[in-house]
Amino acid sequence: MKNGLRELRAERQWSQGDLAERLGVSRQTINAIETEKYDPSLPLAFKISFLFKLPLERIFVPEADVKGTHRRGHA
Amino acid sequence: MRNSNLHERDERQRDCTAAKRSFLRSMELNAWLAVSTATYVVALVLIRHHPAWSPGWKITLTLTPIVPGLLYLRKGMQLLRELDELQRRIQLEAWMFAAMGTVIVSTVINVFNAQGLEGRWPAHGLEVGGTYMTMFILWGVGSTIANLRYR
Repeated sequence: MKNGLRELRAERQWSQGDLAERLGVSRQTINAIETEKYDPSLPLAFKISFLFKLPLERIFVPEADVKGTHRRGHA
Repeated sequence: MRNSNLHERDERQRDCTAAKRSFLRSMELNAWLAVSTATYVVALVLIRHHPAWSPGWKITLTLTPIVPGLLYLRKGMQLLRELDELQRRIQLEAWMFAAMGTVIVSTVINVFNAQGLEGRWPAHGLEVGGTYMTMFILWGVGSTIANLRYR
């Protein structure tokens, strides 16, 4: 799963620690999401979406979409 | 420039506090494991030195390590629920590694013993103390591997 968390955070000039505190998770979690080593749970993804006031699909993009493949049902 | 330095210091301080908190929690959890192992060793020594004690008393003493063992389990579950989602995953991976690793080590030792092979491994399998110790060591290894993966 690709995500634009690092860019969104940088736009607001927040550190990873700031974002972690706002979301109630550890800084390691934020770092792992940003480096795409870990995909957040649905509740955390929604928390991120509410915090940045952006829809989920603007923040998280499935790999298939990044490669330009059509998703099933959206052909 | 000064602001960025302050920010970095703030970040480092926050990381340090979180690491300290996490270390203390792990120690609190592992203290029960240490108590359980110590109880087991004491029970074993007592039984060995007092062969005339009644079987009931010996059984009670042998089962004593289960009490701190259960407290260890309870504390572990409590801590697991309090962790943030990535830490929970890391701990689950570490525990899975420790549990499966202990089963494998124990099975290998039992197979060697069943084949009549003699070596530096325990002649009667891992036993309670050995099981706890193996699990603890493998948890440390599993935890390190999982932490490195998500770093």
